[in-house]
Amino acid sequence: MIRLEDVTRRYGDKTAVDSLSLEVAEGEVCVLIGPSGCGKTTTLRMINRLIEPTSGHIFVGDRDILSMPAEELRRGLGYVIQSIGLFPHLDVAANICVVPRLLGWEKQRMAERVDELLALVGLDPAAYRHKYPRQLSGGEAQRVGVARALAADPPVLLMDEPFGAVDPLNRERLQAEFARIQRELKKTVIFVTHDIDEAIRLADKVAIMRDGKLQQFNTPEEVLNHPANKFVHDFVGADRALKRLVRVRVADVMRSPVTVLADADPISLQEAAGRRRFAYVVQPDGRLLGWLDTRSLAEGTRPAAAMTQMDVAEASVRPDDSLRDALSRMLGLGFRSIAVTDKNDVLLGEVTFAAVEDVMTEGDEHVSNQPTEAPE
Amino acid sequence: MGALVALAGVTVLPFLELRANRLVPGVAYPMMAAGSWAYLVWLLVAVGFLSAVLPTAKVRAAASTASGYGLIAATAWAVGAATRSLLVSQQPAMRVSLGAGVWVLLAGTAILGFSGGEERAGTLLRRTVPIVLAVAAVAAAFVWGGLDRISLAREFEVRASSFWSLLGGHLAMSGSGLGLGLLFGVPLGLWATRNRGVRSVVLGVTGVIQTVPSLALLGLLIAPLAALSRAVPVLRAIGVQGIGNAPGLIALTLYALLPIVRNTYVGLSEVDPAVIDAGRGMGMSSWQLLWRVEFPLALPLIVEGVRTASVLLIGIATLTVFAGARNLGNLIFEGLGQFAPDLILLGALPVIALAVIADVALSALGRALTPEGVRA
Repeated sequence: MIRLEDVTRRYGDKTAVDSLSLEVAEGEVCVLIGPSGCGKTTTLRMINRLIEPTSGHIFVGDRDILSMPAEELRRGLGYVIQSIGLFPHLDVAANICVVPRLLGWEKQRMAERVDELLALVGLDPAAYRHKYPRQLSGGEAQRVGVARALAADPPVLLMDEPFGAVDPLNRERLQAEFARIQRELKKTVIFVTHDIDEAIRLADKVAIMRDGKLQQFNTPEEVLNHPANKFVHDFVGADRALKRLVRVRVADVMRSPVTVLADADPISLQEAAGRRRFAYVVQPDGRLLGWLDTRSLAEGTRPAAAMTQMDVAEASVRPDDSLRDALSRMLGLGFRSIAVTDKNDVLLGEVTFAAVEDVMTEGDEHVSNQPTEAPE
Repeated sequence: MGALVALAGVTVLPFLELRANRLVPGVAYPMMAAGSWAYLVWLLVAVGFLSAVLPTAKVRAAASTASGYGLIAATAWAVGAATRSLLVSQQPAMRVSLGAGVWVLLAGTAILGFSGGEERAGTLLRRTVPIVLAVAAVAAAFVWGGLDRISLAREFEVRASSFWSLLGGHLAMSGSGLGLGLLFGVPLGLWATRNRGVRSVVLGVTGVIQTVPSLALLGLLIAPLAALSRAVPVLRAIGVQGIGNAPGLIALTLYALLPIVRNTYVGLSEVDPAVIDAGRGMGMSSWQLLWRVEFPLALPLIVEGVRTASVLLIGIATLTVFAGARNLGNLIFEGLGQFAPDLILLGALPVIALAVIADVALSALGRALTPEGVRA
């Protein structure tokens, strides 16, 4: 879908990007990452011709981008930047419709598209349609920024540190939502960041750059398990086993839990808990209330009376959370397992410490490999 | 505060001056010459004092508005009545001029009228009704109250025919200067944002022009224009001469440049670079970016520059009479030459009124053109 062939960009004596070649398949998220000045943003901006390459070729689809007018090219590439750049004099709807308007869409179609996109990025259309950028928080503004980039349904998204300026809590939320939207829309995405956790979390392919040169271009798993050289090894960091957990969603490893109804008879309780020591106590509609230790049950007590109540929001994770979130929650609470619930507190399953350990050790045979020295 | 100023006007200072003819110094008369109207003035001044101590903000605002605008009307009638009684059975050459007391009183009413401003912010109708009533009362005093017999009105009668053409000349001169200033200033300001070299030259030159004294600039223009007019018959045919409208118009255009160029430049260069980057990245052409984003965002500042220029030009236009233009400046300098204070006023008051109207109208225009999303 996007192919860079021997792309070089020089500024005087300095080479910002040095004969870079890489290919991103349709529907893939390619994260460009590296320290400041490594050429990742320059690479991104060459793809929509905000910067012209000094030499080399870039293809989007099958077309050499230098053979088409820059404006036409850009209208087909969604563009999201860290500072967002919403037009302050236009309301949210008009901001989203910048590209549709350039393309000459009809009013009705634009209005429908605005509502569709606002809902997609998790903003209530009725409440946000006519707000102005200055009335939005940083996180809301970047959601609108993403909606604007998606407006004309471009096959490609170019994102330059899109979540770099929002606070850590909102960044995590935006990353999770981006992952959800991407699962739904399957865009081809070039994503620039300097945050390795963000890269590992969102990427199908990671391109690690240094001084304008590509160091390694592969899946996050491969980069974590087989760093190509010392630079990549150091850049990825010592906690590679933990980072691997970021790649796995809770939904992928959760198992079905043992449950008892809060108002169940004391006798059926013993039967239900026959195989496992701990059971979750739920209401008839599935909502989680707490847990109980079946061995310490006195005969004749109802589950509702014997259970330890839980702050469900605090002591559970969602299916879309990463295993690292689950692990950190478990460690924080001192549990060997943690409940998985949906947004209405309905119990969906549980994740055990053993399952997390399994994922962490999967790559262990590689961890002992000595990283090769980087070619200088 | 306003009431104190008004009180000083009606007590300490002479209200009117009776003179044997329009040029000689006169004899001062107190306000009591106005008879019963004087009591109304006193009463309204008292209301003005009350307005400072009344219980609620709303009532205070109403009282200060009533006394402020009421005093304008009452003063007009008091002056008219007093003029009538002073001029009874006197020679036709006798003149009654407004004394210092009247001016101070009017200054006091202005303070009273404006001080209620914040609380009276309500509807446009609410704000204009007192103004319209006061203007109507003053007009009525001209027709029925004897105000038409004060010296200022007599000066006007003598020059009624030329006054309107001079006023027209003034409007045409400052309006054309402003129009030409816009025609050259906005493109120059735009050019300055695009080119660093142009910026220093343009901002430097317009800044230097501003420091040249107006009369000197006019003088400097006369000789070259006269030479040009002799050398190029076409220019002479369209009225370009060393003496006449040409030097004045050129001088006014030059003076208009600095505020317009500077505000255009500042307005355009203050547009957030992220907004420009986002616009370009989405596929807007330079023109689309300029018309849909940069100009709308810079417009309030550009209009602010036009406002500054218009007030400046309306004042400086009076000086262009020295280079042969004909406008309200003629009345002022004729009055100065004859030591006829009321003739000076006949020229100066409309100039002040024009400047105030331009100022208010362009401020309102600036507010109206400020996009809703960027309003403070």
